Amino acid sequence: MTEIRDVLKTAFINFDLSATEKKAAISELAGTFVAEGVVTNESVYLEAVMKREAESTTGIGFGVAIPHGKSSAVTEPSLAFGRSQAGIQYDSMDGQSVHLMFLIAVPETSNDEHLRILSKLSRKLMHEDVRQKLMIVGNVEEIYQIFE
Amino acid sequence: MKIVGITSCSTGIAHTYMAAESLEIAAKKRDIEIKVETQGSIGAENVLTEQEIADADAVIIAASTSVNKDRFNGKRLLEVDVTEAIDHPDDLFDRVPNAAIYTTSGEVKTEAKAEKSGIYSHLMTGVSYMIPFVVAGGICIALAFAFGGINAKGDLAAAINELGGIAMGLMWPILGGYVAFSIADRPGLVPGMVAGMIASNMNAGFLGALLGGFLAGYTVQTLKKVLKLPPAFSGLLPVLILPVISVLFVGLIMKFVVGIPITALNEGITNWLNSLSGMNSVLLGLLLGGMMAIDLAGPIGKAAYFFGVASLTNLAVGETSTVMAAVMISGMVPPLAMALSSTVLGKGLYSKEEREAGKSAWVLGLSFISEGAIPFAAADPIRVLASVTVGSAITGALSMIFNCGIAVPHGGFFVFLIPGAVENVLLYVLALAIGTAVSGFLVTAVKVMAQKKQAAKE
Repeated sequence: MTEIRDVLKTAFINFDLSATEKKAAISELAGTFVAEGVVTNESVYLEAVMKREAESTTGIGFGVAIPHGKSSAVTEPSLAFGRSQAGIQYDSMDGQSVHLMFLIAVPETSNDEHLRILSKLSRKLMHEDVRQKLMIVGNVEEIYQIFE
Repeated sequence: MKIVGITSCSTGIAHTYMAAESLEIAAKKRDIEIKVETQGSIGAENVLTEQEIADADAVIIAASTSVNKDRFNGKRLLEVDVTEAIDHPDDLFDRVPNAAIYTTSGEVKTEAKAEKSGIYSHLMTGVSYMIPFVVAGGICIALAFAFGGINAKGDLAAAINELGGIAMGLMWPILGGYVAFSIADRPGLVPGMVAGMIASNMNAGFLGALLGGFLAGYTVQTLKKVLKLPPAFSGLLPVLILPVISVLFVGLIMKFVVGIPITALNEGITNWLNSLSGMNSVLLGLLLGGMMAIDLAGPIGKAAYFFGVASLTNLAVGETSTVMAAVMISGMVPPLAMALSSTVLGKGLYSKEEREAGKSAWVLGLSFISEGAIPFAAADPIRVLASVTVGSAITGALSMIFNCGIAVPHGGFFVFLIPGAVENVLLYVLALAIGTAVSGFLVTAVKVMAQKKQAAKE
């Protein structure tokens, strides 16, 4: 059974992003994918993410952004979580800066189960209490608890 | 208030689901009953049923992709970008009671009306996926005849003939598969295609393939409801359990429950035909002609065809068979009659797709590819099969009366062109023309009558 922790690995979690600008923040989180080998070519993957951003911003409001890219440079569906207390300039739909960022990487072909996890997680993010908890959690286990 | 919705986004990974959740949260706060179908990369989930749509007061579509709205004919429908449902769900619930009523226009409207009977819409899905296969396959075979004569001699002609045969052969699994797909979504495809292929292998014809498609679709639909797995195994359902169980169940039923009577029917008819020796030749032509059309290359038509082919085996050089001649010429009638009706006599009675299929049915008919009529027959079996059977029977009888004969089992119009290949070739063409005209007018007339009846009801 695939679980949230198989997709959102500990290595992909950064409680304190240093970047304060959209592209730099995405790139910072993408670096965790590259370090773990789930993204084989960073620039190809980032290109896919930015292309999606160009269609419409993934800064969905409420301080949350979910940039995502589907690319052959991705070897397994993965999710990275980054938090910024200072806020990231993200041209969000509501104009506010982003504090919670989920970066999604999906291969060209992937099984439904992983996509289902991402869909569940996306749904969770729409709940205000989930977002509030994410702002204050201090360790990885707590994040898993929020989503499980 | 009851609302149904659909959400969808371009990658189908995140926004689709966030929008659905956001609508659900906002609806809960307002005490609105809502069901949201998500069309993401996993496929459609939480699919709206016809009943739910019928019960709903309004429809919200939040999508950045194009969503098929046919299901919502006559409903208040608000269509917005997927991001609006994420950001301002409340706003959407304020707006939806005043949304415009969605109506499909013109031609689509009659189709949408017909969709009320679900079976018909599943049938049409299968047929519309099948048509290009019939057309591509049939035209390739005709081209092979044109390049290489009726035996498709030569490397190029043989290759094109093979391609045509493959495309044509795929029409059965496609028909079965997409009928099942229409009923049960993606998991229906595997058992439906397998059932279509089995129907083809056992000469069950298009009626067999259709039956297989419906069986597969409803089987999967039932399995989806009945099979409840612990969450740890639910991931196996779409990739392992559903495909295997549905293929086994549908396949074995097709083979043993459907297959045995069909094989028996085919054999019974073959034996019966063989026992008819000495029968009046005109009656035999009438009978064989009708059989060639009644199930369009199904068990009955196949029996008639092989009866004709068998009559060639004892021919001396230079002799021809009147039986084979009657069989071939009457097998050309159904596609030609449908072409005549759909492209000349009653254009307005057919969908655009069918009219296009009708154009190529001319070529298919002339090439003795009876399958050219199947798209029409599958869409409206009783009227079409009855009409083409009458004309085919007449053509078969006339061929006998005119004492026409051929010595080859296929080739259609291309045989006519070979000097001396057809005994009484001009009368042979006349027999074909008469049967085609009779069936063409007949099918047009019954379709007009059906339409008037329908109009009177409403």
